[in-house]
Amino acid sequence: MSTTIALPDALTQDLAVIVGSDGIVNEIAALTVYECDGYTAERAVPQLVVLPRTTAEVSTVLRAAHRAGVPFVPRGAGTGLSGGCLAAPAPLVVCTSRMRTIRAIDVANRRIVAEAGVVNADVSRAVRAAGLQYVPDPSSQNACTIGGNVAENSGGPHTLKYGVTTNHLLGVELVLPDGEVVTLGDAVDDGLGYDLTGVVCGAEGTMGIVTAATLRLLPLPEGVTTMLAVFATVADATATVSAIIAAGIVPAALEMMDRTIVAAVEAAFRFGFPTDAGAVLIIEIDGAVAGLDATATRIEALCHAHRASRVTRAADEAERAALWKARKRAFGAVGRLAPSYCTQDGVVPRTRLPEILTRIEAASARHGLRIGNVFHAGDGNIHPIILYDQRDPAETARALAAGREILEACLELGGSVTGEHGIGVEKLRELGLSFGPDDLALMRRVRDVFDPDGRANPGKVFPTPGICVEQRAPGRRAAL
Amino acid sequence: MARPTSPAAALAKELGSGADADPARCDAWTLAGILPALVARPADAAELAATVAAAGACGAALVPLGRGAHRGLGHPPARYDLALVTERLARVRDYTPADMTVTVEAGTTVAEIDALLACEGQWLPIEPPLPEATTVGGLLAADLAGPLAASQGRARDFVIGVEVATAAGVLARAGGRVVKNVAGYDLMKLVIGSLGTLAVVTEVTFKVRPRPETRRALVFRAHDVAAALGVAAAVAAAETGALAVVAGADADGARVLVRLGGVAADVAAAAARLVAIAGGAGAELEHDDAETHPRIAALLARTRDFPARAGGDVVVRFAVLPSRLPALASALARAVTDIAGWRVDALRGTLYAALQAEHPAEALAACAGVAGRHEAHLVVERWPLVLAPSIAVWHPIPTAFPLMQRMKRALDPTGVFAGGRFVGGL
Repeated sequence: MSTTIALPDALTQDLAVIVGSDGIVNEIAALTVYECDGYTAERAVPQLVVLPRTTAEVSTVLRAAHRAGVPFVPRGAGTGLSGGCLAAPAPLVVCTSRMRTIRAIDVANRRIVAEAGVVNADVSRAVRAAGLQYVPDPSSQNACTIGGNVAENSGGPHTLKYGVTTNHLLGVELVLPDGEVVTLGDAVDDGLGYDLTGVVCGAEGTMGIVTAATLRLLPLPEGVTTMLAVFATVADATATVSAIIAAGIVPAALEMMDRTIVAAVEAAFRFGFPTDAGAVLIIEIDGAVAGLDATATRIEALCHAHRASRVTRAADEAERAALWKARKRAFGAVGRLAPSYCTQDGVVPRTRLPEILTRIEAASARHGLRIGNVFHAGDGNIHPIILYDQRDPAETARALAAGREILEACLELGGSVTGEHGIGVEKLRELGLSFGPDDLALMRRVRDVFDPDGRANPGKVFPTPGICVEQRAPGRRAAL
Repeated sequence: MARPTSPAAALAKELGSGADADPARCDAWTLAGILPALVARPADAAELAATVAAAGACGAALVPLGRGAHRGLGHPPARYDLALVTERLARVRDYTPADMTVTVEAGTTVAEIDALLACEGQWLPIEPPLPEATTVGGLLAADLAGPLAASQGRARDFVIGVEVATAAGVLARAGGRVVKNVAGYDLMKLVIGSLGTLAVVTEVTFKVRPRPETRRALVFRAHDVAAALGVAAAVAAAETGALAVVAGADADGARVLVRLGGVAADVAAAAARLVAIAGGAGAELEHDDAETHPRIAALLARTRDFPARAGGDVVVRFAVLPSRLPALASALARAVTDIAGWRVDALRGTLYAALQAEHPAEALAACAGVAGRHEAHLVVERWPLVLAPSIAVWHPIPTAFPLMQRMKRALDPTGVFAGGRFVGGL
């Protein structure tokens, strides 16, 4: 057992009474499922997982844990990519995946109240017939839950135009670490008092457990045009991204895949991508039908001006869906290229994309590792995928070093070490490079307001001395 | 035993030439009839932080201010030793148009940023009242918004990084200069709309948008405010992609202003639909032109500045679910008889009313009653000084208020940021 804090038997018994025998996971084989999230480099098998069904149960569970002085880890679907729900040092996982009720839909005012365990894509499905959608669409959207989205302030390809989770979040129901239930914000789009909803969003579960969220919905766009542009070099593709932005166009999405990724995607799914391309861009615009064609034509001209060898528009919804499937499954496809891979989630100002790509190439050469690139180009959010063999300890060490170097380069270029995956346990060191002691002290003071005893997801975001977890090589799972 | 020196006197000594005690100059920074003992205008963030530290050490209370254009918002300060004025922090730190981000000091005005961005075909689509007199610090502190808020967002949607001076007089940062960033807590949200009660903002980074290629406004006349609201609701429901739908009424009549922006083809198609929808709802098209047309520009400015410039000694703002706006408005018209002017942002669910109230306390009580019955928030943006002893600016007190009190105590343990100005006396 790799956790450091023991779970008292009496608490285990109390929790079983609260959530019922079908809401408890306590056998080692079943617990192993919860040993990590999508970040697999560190693992810790929890001592106990509880799956409450209601806010009242979450509250009672946290009250019991509070009395026993036991820290806990909030967990949704476990698709996070930075170890945010690693069960260490806290031994107790509180999983909200059974809280799946959509409590209210208000079509007229475009609001929905969804419990934490509602799957992201199900929110949009629930309102599609009314012509509405929930915009944030992480690549794991068919698995990830609203509670996790709020904890991580999740993004997705369409955040370029529409913003991330926090821009669509009006309020949350939060269970504080002592079990008190508080309602932050409400359906009215105007704050009263401090914007604590905005503070809790992206706090990675360190302020308590979000059990429900009031979300803003948007009308489905009247029209969507999705384009694929093929370039000989990443440099040409990057210059095109800058040109589109400079032309005053805000695409709904602007995504890039380089040669390595395109080849992997093509080998896996045979979408018909030209495998000799240096880079492809997926460009999506949406809005009123009247102006879409003219905007698409402008974008095509910009692509050709930057030496695109081919620019095509998806002819119908099936072709559009195929393009997005290719993009969102790029990570899975990479599995064919190497025994192992790890990805990073850095951000640079858009104008520094060429420089960061040069730095990534340099890291690749220096460490003798292949690195593929798939990223949200419009946001400057890069996802270099470092390919290696985890059976080779020396190569594994080089892969980790290359990842660190790339993130440090992002900081040097005025960017950030995480655009959407979060700090979790993965980037504790990098958070310390991003902010000074005074910045972190202020953040800790804010955390203490919600969690004075430090029992909500300890060891995440801020380094806690003395954590003992099983360190493994970076693993294979990833999706974004 | 010698009488202890007052905090203001101790602070004056501590700051020396860094503070001004001249009553004439202090008078310019009066808050709810209360005069500060001192005014300080620090030259940069470091000096500002040192001033906060000195105030804290002396046990003095300060109020951060930009140009003071919106200082009427909030309760009278419990104590007011120092007006801490940020107007000298007015430098543009970084503007790289291709990155679509701009970093400015807190004393920069919204109008200055707008002019800077316009040169590059970009904009920050937040239109607070009185942009020439509104600093970025004030924009954030009061979370000022305008008619574009529903379609474009509020300060919380554009601010991607801040630097603040904490109560201890330490400069701290959160966020950064990139448009997508989840490293560390989002403390931008905490300071936005906190009315300077938790920290003093010294520097802000915004993400910006391209200025729409075409901007056009359609003005419709309606019989009265109720009819205007009906037209606005019909337009809002029609998904025309309007940037703003504003119903307004004053002595000059009732109107609906619809703003469109985007590529020319979209705007033309939307305008044609609008004319049909509004006509069907009984409104008459009075004017249809580019936003730069002098008559349109004047109307836009008047609409934007309504909360600050409307006549009347009381201005209230309701925030409600948009679908409940018509019911709220008619209930308000029944409950309060002295309404001199209205502005209703139909997409967002915001209703401003300017009252010429003979009995302001009764009128405000009636407003609070209407808000309660419609699950609306009420903010009393302007009120006569005679109400100062009892004024409650925000209604209702949010259920999470105890947590907010804990936040205030944690971030401002000694009460250096003049207590009592914000919701429930925070």
